[in-house]
Amino acid sequence: MSAVSLRNLSIRFPGKRSGQQIDVLENVSADVAAGEFVCIVGPSGCGKSTLLNIVAGFISPTSGDALVEGVRVTRPDPRRIFVFQENGVFPWLNVRENISFGLRARSKEEQNAIVARYVEMVGLNGFEDAYPRELSGGMRQRVEIARALAANPDIIYMDEPFGALDFITRLKMRADLTRIWQAERKTILFVTHDIEEAVQLADRIFVFSKRPATLQKIVNVDLPRPRDLDSPSYLRKRDEIFRLMGMSSRIGEAIMAS
Amino acid sequence: MSSRKFLIGIAIAWLIAITLLHAALNLHWFDRAKKTASANSRFRIGFLPVTCHLTCPVTDFINKQMTGESIFDPVRFNGWPELKEAYLSGYTPATFILAPMAMALREQGVPIKIVYLGHRDGSAVMVHKDSNIWRMADLRGKKIAVPNRYSNQRLLIFRALKQAGMTIEDIELVEMPPPDMPAALYAKAVDAISSGEPFMGQTELDGYGRVLWLTKDVWPNFISCVLAVHEDMIANHRDVVQRLVDGIAKSGKWIDASMDHRMEAAQFVANNYYNQNPRLLSFVLSKPPDRVKYTNLALRKPDFEEIEALGREAGILKGTVHFADYTDDSFVKDDSAVQPYAWEPATKK
Amino acid sequence: MSAESEIISNVRSSPDVHAVRGKRLTIWPPSPDALLWRIVRPVGMAALFLTLWGLAVRWSHTDLFPTPGNVVRGIVELGEKGLLLKYIVASLFRVTWGFTLALVLGIPFGLILGWYSRAFQAFNPLIQILRPISPIAWIPVAILWFGVSDAAPIFLIFLASVFPITVATIAAVQNMQPVYLRAAQNFGLGRWELFHRVIFRASLPQIITGVRIALGVAWLVVVAAEMIAVNSGLGYLIIDARNAGKRYDLVVAGMVMIGLIGLVLDLLVRQLEKLDAVRWGYARR
Repeated sequence: MSAVSLRNLSIRFPGKRSGQQIDVLENVSADVAAGEFVCIVGPSGCGKSTLLNIVAGFISPTSGDALVEGVRVTRPDPRRIFVFQENGVFPWLNVRENISFGLRARSKEEQNAIVARYVEMVGLNGFEDAYPRELSGGMRQRVEIARALAANPDIIYMDEPFGALDFITRLKMRADLTRIWQAERKTILFVTHDIEEAVQLADRIFVFSKRPATLQKIVNVDLPRPRDLDSPSYLRKRDEIFRLMGMSSRIGEAIMAS
Repeated sequence: MSSRKFLIGIAIAWLIAITLLHAALNLHWFDRAKKTASANSRFRIGFLPVTCHLTCPVTDFINKQMTGESIFDPVRFNGWPELKEAYLSGYTPATFILAPMAMALREQGVPIKIVYLGHRDGSAVMVHKDSNIWRMADLRGKKIAVPNRYSNQRLLIFRALKQAGMTIEDIELVEMPPPDMPAALYAKAVDAISSGEPFMGQTELDGYGRVLWLTKDVWPNFISCVLAVHEDMIANHRDVVQRLVDGIAKSGKWIDASMDHRMEAAQFVANNYYNQNPRLLSFVLSKPPDRVKYTNLALRKPDFEEIEALGREAGILKGTVHFADYTDDSFVKDDSAVQPYAWEPATKK
Repeated sequence: MSAESEIISNVRSSPDVHAVRGKRLTIWPPSPDALLWRIVRPVGMAALFLTLWGLAVRWSHTDLFPTPGNVVRGIVELGEKGLLLKYIVASLFRVTWGFTLALVLGIPFGLILGWYSRAFQAFNPLIQILRPISPIAWIPVAILWFGVSDAAPIFLIFLASVFPITVATIAAVQNMQPVYLRAAQNFGLGRWELFHRVIFRASLPQIITGVRIALGVAWLVVVAAEMIAVNSGLGYLIIDARNAGKRYDLVVAGMVMIGLIGLVLDLLVRQLEKLDAVRWGYARR
C-alpha cells in the first residue's frame, strides 16, 4: 500500500467577484511509496502549496480524495508533520521547547534525550536555550525540521522550507536534509519552485502545469546520492524539466510551451 | 516556566499584602473590633460640610461627650447627588437634604418624610468686590451660580428677581458645586455666586468677595435644608428617630444660646467633622451673628407652601404633593419647650 | 561551525548588545554612561518643569494655585497626620482589586470572543456600546448596587479597565498568525491545550499592551471612583480638599502622588514586557 495516494483531487476556490470560481487543481492522481522523497514543482501560483495543504488535512478538496495509508484524510495528524516556509516555529518557546512540542506524552528523560539527538542532527548544538528571534532564518528552519523529526512522524510535508533563505544556506540545508533523510528514511513530500532543488533532492518529481493545475508528468530521478551538480546526467534531468515547464536552459531564450 | 510561577507568586503576595494593609489602616478590622460591633446596630445619617447641616455634627459630638456614643452615625458626603443616592439606596435612612429636593423626591414616590428643619437663613449672594454690582438690577445679563436646581438659593433668586421687577430671562443661571464657587468668583468666571455657608463667607474672609445681600434681608426666616428620614424608620424605629430629632433640636438651641457656644462648635466641627479651617466657620457663625440661625426649627405649613408655589413657578415641582404628604411634625410637639443641651466645654487653659 | 557565522551576521550591531555563543542575547546591564543618562535626563526635565511652575505661580500673583513648595509641605502635613500611608494604601487596594477582576474576567472572555466568531458577533456590539461610557456616569448605579463601601469604587475601576483588556485580547486572537494554529493542530492538540499552549501564548504581547493601557486607565479613574463617599484614598483627598476650602495645595499634592504612583506602576508593567514569553512580540530596539 502506498504511503500517500491522490485520487482525482480537484479544488476550486471562490473568486474575488461574486459567483466567480477559480479552478486551482484539476483531477490530480498519483501515488507516493513509503520512504520516498518526492518533490512537487510547477509555475508559481499553480497550487502546489494548496495540494500539500490538502494532503496534510488543513484544507478539504472540492472533489476527489487524498489517502494516507489507505485512510482518507480529513484533518491534520501528528503522524504527518508539516514544515512551513517561515514562521512555523513558535516564537514564545526556545529551541528546546519548540523541538519537544510534540513530545508532551513522554517522560522528562526521554524528552531531553530526543531533543539532544535532533539538536545534534540539525547542527544547533549550544543554542538549545536561544529564542527564535535570536536565530537566523536558516537556523529557525532547522529548528522546525528538528521539531518535525522529534515527533517521529511517518510522513513529513515540506512547503518550500528553504524558500526564504539565501543561496548558500539553501545548498547547505539541502545537504543536511539529504543526510538526515538517508538516516531516518521518512516519506517526504517537498514542494518547491526551484527546479534545481528538486533535482538535487528527489527520487521522483511531480511536475505540474499552470492553473488550473494538472499533473503534467512524473519524472524519475535515478541519480545516486550525493548528487553531483556537474554530472551530465544531472544536467539532462534538469533540462528535461525545464522543457516540460516551457523554459530554456539558456537565459533569455524563449521556448514554446509544449 | 518558573518565571511564570514567580510572577503569579508575586501577584498573590501583593493581593494579600495590600488587602491586609488596607484592612488594618482604613477598615480598622484589627483594633476596634469591639467598637464596631456595637456601631453596627446604629443607623447612619448623611450630611454635607456646610453650616446648614451644623446641627448634625454638633448633636453627634455633644452626645458622644455626654453619653459616650452617638445616636446616629454621621456620614459626610461631598456633593448633593451622592448624598441623595445614598439615601435612595437605603445606606443613610436619615439625611439632611434640600427642602425642594425632598419634596421632589416625594413627588416621584420616594417614601421620604421631613421631620425637622436644619436651620434658618444662612445663605447669601456674593459678588466680586471689584465689580460694579450693588443692587439686584445690576445683575441684568450677568451669570449667577447656584448649587442645584432643587436648591432654595435658586428659588431665592427667583423671589429676589420678582421683587426687583425682573424675570429669570434677565440673568444667566448656572449650576455649580458649592466648593468650586469661591474659585470661580475669584477668577471672575461668574459674576455672582449663591449657596450655603461657609463658601460664601470664605470669599469675604479671603478678601475678594462682597455681600450683595444676605438671605435674611430678602426672605427672612428663609428655610433651606431640612432633616428627613425614611418612612420605614418612622414605622419601625420611631424611638430612635425621636431621639435624633430631640438631639437636633437641643443642639440647635445650644448653638444659639451664646456666641461662646458658637465658637466652640466652630472648633470641634471644623476639626473633627468638616475638615475645614475653624477660622472660616467661626467667621460665618458670627459676622453678623444672625447670618444663620438654629432655633425656630419646627415645621410650619406656610413656609413650605411658599416653597411649593415658587417651585412650581420655577418648574422644579409639579405641585402634586402637599405638606401632609412629605412632612411628619409629630416629633416636636412644642418647639419653644425644647431645652438646649446642658453641656459646657471643658475650659481650655 | 558556520552556524556561528549565521548568528553573528543576523544580529543587528548595536553598542549595547552582547552576543555570547550559545547563551541568550542580553541588553542588560547597559553601559554605565547609558544608565546615568537615563536617570539624568528625566530628572533634569522634571526639575525644569518644577522651576517653571514655581515661577509662574509667583509671577501671576495668584492667591489660589500652590507653588511646588506648598505642595511638598502639604505632603509632609499629610505624612505627619498619618494620612499619607492610609490614603495611598486605600487607593492601591481598590485599584488592585478592580484591576485584578478585570484581568481575571477580561482575558478569558477576550480569548473566547476572539476565537469563536459567533460569540464575537453576539457580544461585540454590546461591548462597543458600554465601552465609551465614562465611569462617572456609572456612579449612581454603583451606589445603588453596592452601597457606600469599597465595593463601589472597585466596581468602577473594574469597569474602566475591563474594556481595554478585553478589546486588546480579542484583537490579539483575531490577528494571530494562522501558521501557529496549523502547526499546533498538526501536533494533535485538543481544544483546551490549543487555548492555553498556543492561542494564549501567541496573544500575550498584545494582551500585555492592553494591560498596560488598562492599568493607566484604572489609576486615572481612581479619582472619579473615590467620589462615592468613601473616606480614604488619594481621589478622596482631592475631592475633600476642595470642600475644605482653599486647600488647593492638598489638591495638587494628591495629583502629584497619583502621578508618581502611576509612573511606578507603568515601570512595573514595562518590566513584564521584558519577559521571554512577551518580548518576542515587540520589535527589537
